[in-house]
Amino acid sequence: MDKMSSRIKVLALLVALMFVALSTRLWFLQVLATTQFQQEARDNSVRFVYTEPLRGLMYDDRGRPLVENQESLEVRVNRDAMGSQAEAVVYRLAHLLNVPVRRLVARLQTNKYYSFQPIPVAEFVQPQVRNYIAEYQDLFPGVDVVPTSVRAYPQGRTAAHIFGYVSPIFASEYDRLKDKGYVQSDVIGHSGLEQVYERFLRGSQGVQKFIVNSDGETIRALGVKDPTAGDDLHLTLDLRIQRAAERELADELARARSGHDINGLPLKANAGAVIVMDAQTGAIKAMASLPSYDPRWLVQGLTKSQASYLYKSAAAPSLNRAMQLGYVPGSTFKPITALAALKEGFATLGGYYPCDATYTHPGDTSGTVFHNWTTANLGTMSLAKAISISCDTVFDRFGSDFYFRYVQNQLSDNGLLLQNDLRGFGFGAPTGIDLPSEGSGLVPDPAWAKTQPTLFPDGWVPGGDILTMIGSTYVMATPLQLAQAYSAIANGGHLCRPHVVDQVVAPDGAVVKHADDHCSRTLPYTPSELAYVRGALGSVITSGTAQCSFSGFPTSQVWVGGKTGTAERPPHQDTSWFAAMAGENPNAPKYVVIAMVEQGGFGAEAAAPIARHVIEDIYHLPNNHQGGCAVGDR
Amino acid sequence: MDMVAGRVWADERRPIRHVDWFLLLLTGALVVVGLFLLYSATASTLRGESLDPFVRVKKQAITAILGFVIVLVITTFDYRFFKVYAGFIYLATLAALVLVKVPGIGATDTTGTAQRWFVVAGFQITPSEVAKLSVIVMLAAVLSELRTPEPTLSDVVKVLAVAAVPLVLVFLQPDIGTSIALAAIVVGMLVVAGTRLKHLLMLTAAGLILIFLTFQLGVIKDFQRERLTAFLDRTNAPQDARYNLDQSLIAVGSGGLTGVGYLKGTQTNLDYVPEQHTDFIFTVAGEEFGFVGAMFVLLLYALILWRAIRIATLSKDPFGTLVAAGIASMFAIQMFVNIGMVIGIMPITGIPLPFLSYGGSSILVSFTAVGMLESIHMRRFS
Repeated sequence: MDKMSSRIKVLALLVALMFVALSTRLWFLQVLATTQFQQEARDNSVRFVYTEPLRGLMYDDRGRPLVENQESLEVRVNRDAMGSQAEAVVYRLAHLLNVPVRRLVARLQTNKYYSFQPIPVAEFVQPQVRNYIAEYQDLFPGVDVVPTSVRAYPQGRTAAHIFGYVSPIFASEYDRLKDKGYVQSDVIGHSGLEQVYERFLRGSQGVQKFIVNSDGETIRALGVKDPTAGDDLHLTLDLRIQRAAERELADELARARSGHDINGLPLKANAGAVIVMDAQTGAIKAMASLPSYDPRWLVQGLTKSQASYLYKSAAAPSLNRAMQLGYVPGSTFKPITALAALKEGFATLGGYYPCDATYTHPGDTSGTVFHNWTTANLGTMSLAKAISISCDTVFDRFGSDFYFRYVQNQLSDNGLLLQNDLRGFGFGAPTGIDLPSEGSGLVPDPAWAKTQPTLFPDGWVPGGDILTMIGSTYVMATPLQLAQAYSAIANGGHLCRPHVVDQVVAPDGAVVKHADDHCSRTLPYTPSELAYVRGALGSVITSGTAQCSFSGFPTSQVWVGGKTGTAERPPHQDTSWFAAMAGENPNAPKYVVIAMVEQGGFGAEAAAPIARHVIEDIYHLPNNHQGGCAVGDR
Repeated sequence: MDMVAGRVWADERRPIRHVDWFLLLLTGALVVVGLFLLYSATASTLRGESLDPFVRVKKQAITAILGFVIVLVITTFDYRFFKVYAGFIYLATLAALVLVKVPGIGATDTTGTAQRWFVVAGFQITPSEVAKLSVIVMLAAVLSELRTPEPTLSDVVKVLAVAAVPLVLVFLQPDIGTSIALAAIVVGMLVVAGTRLKHLLMLTAAGLILIFLTFQLGVIKDFQRERLTAFLDRTNAPQDARYNLDQSLIAVGSGGLTGVGYLKGTQTNLDYVPEQHTDFIFTVAGEEFGFVGAMFVLLLYALILWRAIRIATLSKDPFGTLVAAGIASMFAIQMFVNIGMVIGIMPITGIPLPFLSYGGSSILVSFTAVGMLESIHMRRFS
C-alpha cells in the first residue's frame, strides 16, 4: 500500500501536467492571440440560400385537381455579379427578352432584395432564352435562368373567387409576418382559400447555410434543410356542379339582358351569384360569382388593362358577390320572418290573414301606406298561401305586431324579438365560412336607426319592422347567409356553418385539419313549423310565384321548394332572387340553391331559371325550359 | 470494554456518515454549468427549426437527475461487490461490444460510418462507454490480487491481455476516442499498481510502435487520419478536417479574457462550430465566458479529480484504490483529450467531455463512476 500511495502521487502529477498544458494553451489563445481570433470571428458570415417549397394543391370533393403548380423559367439578375458591365448586360437582356430597357431597369430598382440576391425580371421565358444565356454566359454575368414553381389552374377561370391567388407580399404584410419566416421577395396568398389557408399551403422553405469569408468566398456549406411541400386542400366543392352553376349564371345574365324592366328599359343584369350548399352539412358544393377574372392573368403578370379591370373597374370582378356583399333580400326573406312570427305567436299554422291591397300600421296618422304587389284585394289566406303567392300585406301586419312588442318592452331584450330571431338565423353577422372578407349584411334595429338620422329622424318606427318582415329596403343579407338560413329550414333547424374545405392533408398523407361538426347550433323552431314552411316553399313551385319558372319540372322525381324575391334597389333596377331547396326526400332536401342577379328584374324572371337549371344539372335532368316568366311579386 | 463507547465507535463508522458531499456538490455544479452551455449551443438552431429551444436542455437535465438516482443506488452497495462480479461484468461487456456490430442488433449512425450503440426503448445505449468502467473494475480486481508487492512482467502482460480485447473491439467500431481513454485507464492503473519503471517504459515503446503500425498498415481509415493529424498541421489539412478546428479555435480565441457574454457568441449562435452541443461544448464556455470562464470549468474538473485521487489514497483496500485511480484516469484523459482537441493541442477524436457534453450514455457512465467513488469513500472505515 505504501508503494501505491507514492504511485498515486505520480498519477496526480500527470494530471497536474494536463492542467498546466490546457491552461497555458488557453492563456495563449484567449489572452495573447485573442485579437486575431476576434478578427476571424468577424470575417465569418453566414449566407442563407433558400429553396422555395412547392405550394399545397387543391382538389374538389372527388379528388379532381383544381389548383396545381407548374414550372416557369424565370430570368434572375444578380446585381452584385453584373459588376461594371451592368448597363451593357441590362441592354443585351432587354433585347433578348424583347422588353423595353426601362421596364427591366424598373424591376431591378427595388429594395426588396439584398444586393447579392438574384432578382426575378422575367417569367415564362422560352427555353431558347435559357440556352442562349447559357451559351454566352460571359455576355450575361450575373444573369441566370432558373425553373421556379408557380400556380396552374387546370380548370381555367372556374371558381377563381374561391381559390384566390398568390402575389408578392405587401410591405405592410411583410412587417407583420417577417417573424414567421417571410422574406420581402416572397409571394403570399391574397384573397380566397390561398389567403385563409396560407399557413397550410405555404409549406416550409428549405435552407442551405454557407459560411463565407470576408471576400465572399464560400468556405463551407453548413446545414441543409430540405423544403417541405405545403399541405393540400380537399374542398367540398363539386367541380361538375361548380361548372354548372357558373354556366347557368353566365347564360342567364346574357339572356336577362334581352329583357326589360317595368319601365321598359333593358335589364342590365350586370352581375350575379349562385350558391349550392349541402343543406345537411353546410358544405359548399358550388359558389359562383360574376363578373369574374382569370387567375392565370396573375400568374403571367397582369397587363395594364387587366390590372385596371381587376382593381379599378366598376364591374369589381374580384368581388365574390356570393359572400362578400350584402343585398336587400326581398321576399326570399319571408319564409324566415314567417317562422319568427310563428315562434312569437303572431301567426299560427291554422290561422288566416287578410291579404289586402294596402296596409297601414294601426294608429299611424302619418299617412304611410304599404302596398302589396297587386292592387287587388285577395281576401284572407293561410300563412302558407301568403308565402306561396308572396303576399306583402300579410307580413306587414306581423311587422306591426313585432313593433308593438318593441314599444312595450323597450328596455328589455324582449323588445327586439324580430331582430333576435333573424340573428339566430345567422343574419347580421358573418357565417364564419373559411373565405376572407365575408360580408355581414344588416339587420336593422333601433340602435342602427339612431346612426341613420336622415332615414329615421324620429328613431325606430313601425316601418322598420314592417319592411324587414318582407325583406325590403334596409335589411341586407349575403347570398351565403340566405343559403345558411334556408339550409336550417331544410335540415330540421340546424344552423350549419358554411365551409369550402373538407380536409387539409399533409404531403405524407396525414390529415392536418378535418372539417369538424359544423351544425352544432339548433334553432328554436318546431319540426312541424319547419315542415309547414317547407310545404309552403313547395307550393311556390307548383302553384305560386315560381309556377311558370318551374313549369314542366319533374317534381315527382326531385322535390323542389323555393321562394322568389324581387328587391327594389332604387335608382338601380331590381335585384332578382331565388332561394331554393331540392332533394329526393321532401322532408330532408339535400341541396339549397341560392341564385341572385343584380339588376335582373323579377325573381321569377332571372334568378328562378338559374336555380332550376342548376338543380336539373345536379340531378342530370334535361334542361327543357325556355325561361322568360315575367310574373311574380314586386 | 465500555459498551457505550464501542457502540459510538461503530456508529461513527457507518458509511452514511462519510458521504463526500464536496464531490457531489462539484458534480452538481458542473452539470448546471453544462446545462447553461448546452442551452446557448442549441437554442438558436432549435428555434430556427421552430422547435422548443429547451428540448435538449430538458432532456439533459432529466438524464442528470437520473444520474443522481444512480449515484444514490450505487452508494448503497458495497463497492467490493464489483470485485466479486468483475469477471461477469467484463464478459458481459465483451458480449455487448461484439453484439453491437451485428447488423440488425446494433444501430448505425446517420452517416453509416460507425455502429456503436443499441437502441432500447428509444434510448441509445453505447457499450463502449460502459466498457470504460468494466475495464476499470476488471483490472482493479486482477491487480489487487497479485501475490507480489509489485506486478511482475507476466502480470503486466496478463493485465494488457485483459484490457486489449475490449480495446480492440472498441477501436474497430471505430471509436478512437474511447480507445484512447481505455489505454489511458490501463496506464494510470498500472502506474498506481506499482509497475516498475522499466516495464512502463517497455510498454510506452510498444505503444508507440503499435500506433505507428496502425497508421502504416491502413487500419486507420483516411478520414480518421485526416482528423487525427489536422491539429499538427492546420494549413495542409483538408478543408473539412480543418474546418472544425478553425471554427473551434476562433470561438475559444475570440472569447478573450472575459468572454463576449452569455448567448452573445456569434460562433455559437450561428452554428459555426459543428457538433457544438456534444464534443465541442467547451467552445461555448470559451467564447461566451472567455479565459475566466474556461479556467472556472477547468477548476471544477481539477477539484473533482482531486477528490477522486484523495479517495484513492483513503481507500482501505487496494481494490478501492485501484478503482478510484482508474476513474480518476478516465475523467482526466477525457477532459484532457476533449478540451485539448477544442483548443488544438490534441487530435480530433469523438470523445465526450464528462458531465458537459450532450448525450445520455456519457452522462450516466460519469455518474456511475461518481457513485463508485462515493461508495469507496463512505466505506473507508468499514
